[in-house]
Amino acid sequence: MNKTTRGLTRRTVLSGAAAVGLSRLAHARQPAEVKVGLIVPLSGIYTRPGQVMKMGAEMGIDHINKQGGIKALGGAKMKLVVIDCGDTTEKAKNAAQRMVAQETDLVAATGAYLSSFTLAVTEVTERAELPVLTLSYSDLLTERGFKYIFQTAAPASRQSELGLPTLMKLAESASGKRPKTVAMLMDNTATSIATAKALKEKLFAQEGLQLVVEEIWTPPLSDATPLIQKVRSARPDLLLFMPNAVSDAKLGLEKINEFGLGQGKIPTVSFSITIAEPDMLQSVSTEAVQGIMTIVANWGSKGQEELISELKSRYKEPWATQNVVSTYGDMWLMRDALEKAGKADRQAVAQAFRTMDAGPSKYYPGGQLKFDEKGRRVGAGVVIVQWQNGVPVTVYPPELAQAAPFWPKKS
Amino acid sequence: MRSLLPAIIFTIAYALVSIGVTNSYYQLMLTLVPVWAVFGLSWNLLSGYTGLISFGHAAFFGIGAYTTALGQIYFGLSPWVLIPIAAMLGGIAGLLIGFPTFRLQGHYFALAMLAYPLAILYVFEWLGFQEVTLPMKRDAPIYYMQFSDPRVYTLLALAIMLATIVLTRIIEQSRFGMALLAIKQNEAAAEAAGINTLAWKLRAITLSGAIAAAIGAFYAQVLLVVTPQSVFGMLVSAQALTVAMFGGVGTVWGPVIGSVILIPLAEILHAEAGDRFPGIQGVIFGFAIICVILLAPEGLFWKLRDLLRKRFARSTAKTTEAPDVSRPAATVTPLPTARKHAATSEVVLEVSDLSRSFGGLKAVQNVSFKLHKNEILGIIGPNGAGKTTLFNLLNGFLRPNQGEVLIDGRDMSGERPHTICEAGIGRTFQVMRPFLRMSILDNVVVGAYVRAKTEDEARRLAADAVARVGLSHAADQVAGELSTKELRLMELARALAGQPRILLLDETLAGLGHGEADEVVAVIQQLARDGITIAIIEHTMQAMVRLVDRFVVLDHGAVITEGEPEAVTRDNRVIEAYLGKKWVAHAPH
Repeated sequence: MNKTTRGLTRRTVLSGAAAVGLSRLAHARQPAEVKVGLIVPLSGIYTRPGQVMKMGAEMGIDHINKQGGIKALGGAKMKLVVIDCGDTTEKAKNAAQRMVAQETDLVAATGAYLSSFTLAVTEVTERAELPVLTLSYSDLLTERGFKYIFQTAAPASRQSELGLPTLMKLAESASGKRPKTVAMLMDNTATSIATAKALKEKLFAQEGLQLVVEEIWTPPLSDATPLIQKVRSARPDLLLFMPNAVSDAKLGLEKINEFGLGQGKIPTVSFSITIAEPDMLQSVSTEAVQGIMTIVANWGSKGQEELISELKSRYKEPWATQNVVSTYGDMWLMRDALEKAGKADRQAVAQAFRTMDAGPSKYYPGGQLKFDEKGRRVGAGVVIVQWQNGVPVTVYPPELAQAAPFWPKKS
Repeated sequence: MRSLLPAIIFTIAYALVSIGVTNSYYQLMLTLVPVWAVFGLSWNLLSGYTGLISFGHAAFFGIGAYTTALGQIYFGLSPWVLIPIAAMLGGIAGLLIGFPTFRLQGHYFALAMLAYPLAILYVFEWLGFQEVTLPMKRDAPIYYMQFSDPRVYTLLALAIMLATIVLTRIIEQSRFGMALLAIKQNEAAAEAAGINTLAWKLRAITLSGAIAAAIGAFYAQVLLVVTPQSVFGMLVSAQALTVAMFGGVGTVWGPVIGSVILIPLAEILHAEAGDRFPGIQGVIFGFAIICVILLAPEGLFWKLRDLLRKRFARSTAKTTEAPDVSRPAATVTPLPTARKHAATSEVVLEVSDLSRSFGGLKAVQNVSFKLHKNEILGIIGPNGAGKTTLFNLLNGFLRPNQGEVLIDGRDMSGERPHTICEAGIGRTFQVMRPFLRMSILDNVVVGAYVRAKTEDEARRLAADAVARVGLSHAADQVAGELSTKELRLMELARALAGQPRILLLDETLAGLGHGEADEVVAVIQQLARDGITIAIIEHTMQAMVRLVDRFVVLDHGAVITEGEPEAVTRDNRVIEAYLGKKWVAHAPH
């Protein structure tokens, strides 16, 4: 075991981990390895997204090390420490405590998929003064006045604000007319409700949209017939279909097709990555999802072709979701911070995140590699993804688009 | 108190160990063990002692957790204040939940309890509290219970645990605990012994809810993030059940043992195997629990205790066996000649025109009789004649459809059993209903509370009752080890401990051999001599003829005759009821 050099003085008494009390020998030489953490669910019902995040992290580490590691540290290699945060908030908290207590030489970490888990994890890491990058997008994460959390995705409140106007522009440019009426079918989970609130209170009016149908279900959805029937009789210009479980998405989409509203008869838009997960194709046909769009915080996009093809060959994943791309990008962001900090020290890395201004971001949509005082990435944007021939591809913004969007015309 | 010594020693040892641990992760585990132990104890207080399984203790836990979280966010209150407030809210919630839900029993109660946390979970989601974090207070960490030294959390959790153990012990040894145990072992018997079961159950759920909410409030302080799933979820309710059932139900040590073993085990599995074989921890954990449940269905504590007892008993058996043989033979007295009956003295119980039907079956119809002071009345009739139904009407288990039960001239029909017991009517059961894990004396004490004001008085009354039935020599034996005769006598003592004026004995002689029946008969006769009025049910007549002053004969729910033994046994209607028409001709006249 290689214990890193770190002055105990910097670890303030306030930190819970200060009680770790392991005396460390001071080493003069640079470490041969720099450890970074990945704390994600690898057991329980959120295993799948956790595994996908791990794929992104592994590829990121491999690429960085192949390119010579951290040059400012004499070519030190980055090493990934994987920690399972389980499927409950308590397990996530325990895992985070274990991470800061046992893996004392971590310089940064990323995680933890579900925002509830990220909240619990960062309560621990904040006290241990370990910088954490996250792709979770709850606004609350960066509203606690924390100094060691860095949110790379646009927060939830911003996503619909950014997404809907973009969508309207897309509709206008592709079909020649702005949608006027909208139907909204949603489940009652936290994310859907937060999104719907922003839409109803502000965005619909702002965009001149009239809400003609609004239906809410509690997952799991047992029968979509009554929902879709209402949509058919109202014939809106736009359908917002917001499921958060693959099974709900499947039921809804099948029914939409059965009623002859599919394949763009009524343009359908979602607000989560559920509807674009690879699992979808196991239960619905490519025809049923053709044309469906979703607004997400990140997605595999133009300029990432090599990454996507490696993902396909190495892990047999059909396409790159937000989880892969963001986590892959996190590794590069950590590398940038280490180069800037010039030493393998979590305080220095945290400071590097806070002060970094590394220009346009390659692996997160829009904005800069720069964080504001809350720890939110400056200018973080969203991407619009559309199912085209059995693959969800990025269609907006144009500089990231893998394909041109098509706006299904009302027949 | 001597019985608290092990708990105090355990707590001190635990505290010393945790003070020595400087790794913050191990310290967090050390904090969570007493937290879940207390939650298990709160569950145990209700479900362990009353036997009413609650699948919904997360309701109280979550209320506590949200109280500390929201109290700090919206009112800036200190958790030192909020934890007691949480306990109060939990207690109120317990009362509100208990009142309607205690109408249900068994599985129905368990399922109804399951619904509360799940319903509350949705309410909190609807209110927009999906994710709540406790604000970080860098300037006043002690006031807001945000210690930089994680050992303080462990010590606080230990303090709460010790307080809960002490409280549980006090309850266990008081009439409260006895009442709960009695309810668990047999709610009907408890009610008949004069225990107001609803009142005690409400007290138990209130206290249990308060403890669960207090520890939930503390837990939020440790976790710092509160989500509906993490405090109201199924897994939370299950945690309480798991630690208590694993460690031992109905004992203060059960939840503590369960928590000390299971919480670190789950975490070690998670930490050591979780990243290499994701999910394996759940498999091993589940398997361990299944094994323990199969091998020690009542929990580790009871299994170990039984093993130790057996070993102890074997090593001491040789020395204690000898004197036991020469013990004096109870109170067996030769049967006296027919007692002068007291049919002319004052009426203490009068039944008039009493009827009860179940659907189309008229179990008791228009029954009237009088019970005179100091007499022994035999109520006989073939199987299914309605004898036990009649008793159930008399002591309040059933409400009559019509008619009156006058006790000392006051109509008591339709009153709750414990009220009727207070009025001076004790009863025993056809199917014996002993509290198997309790000693004879403890079994009997339950029956004494209806009269006794203090614990000492109850003990005295119980000891007295045990002596009257001649069981003093075995008073400390556990009821599970007794013979049928001893159990019958113990049930008699339990009824006697409440100092009833009237005793209703339901087939007290059933299942006894000849010699044994004689012993019991002797005891009953002695009671009658001491001034107690007795009504006894039997369907066999031999023993009864020598015992009773007067018979009431029931058939098909109605009185067919009454009178003195000699007359009744010759009555054609009685012979017909018992043996059928063709035997009437053979009857001696």
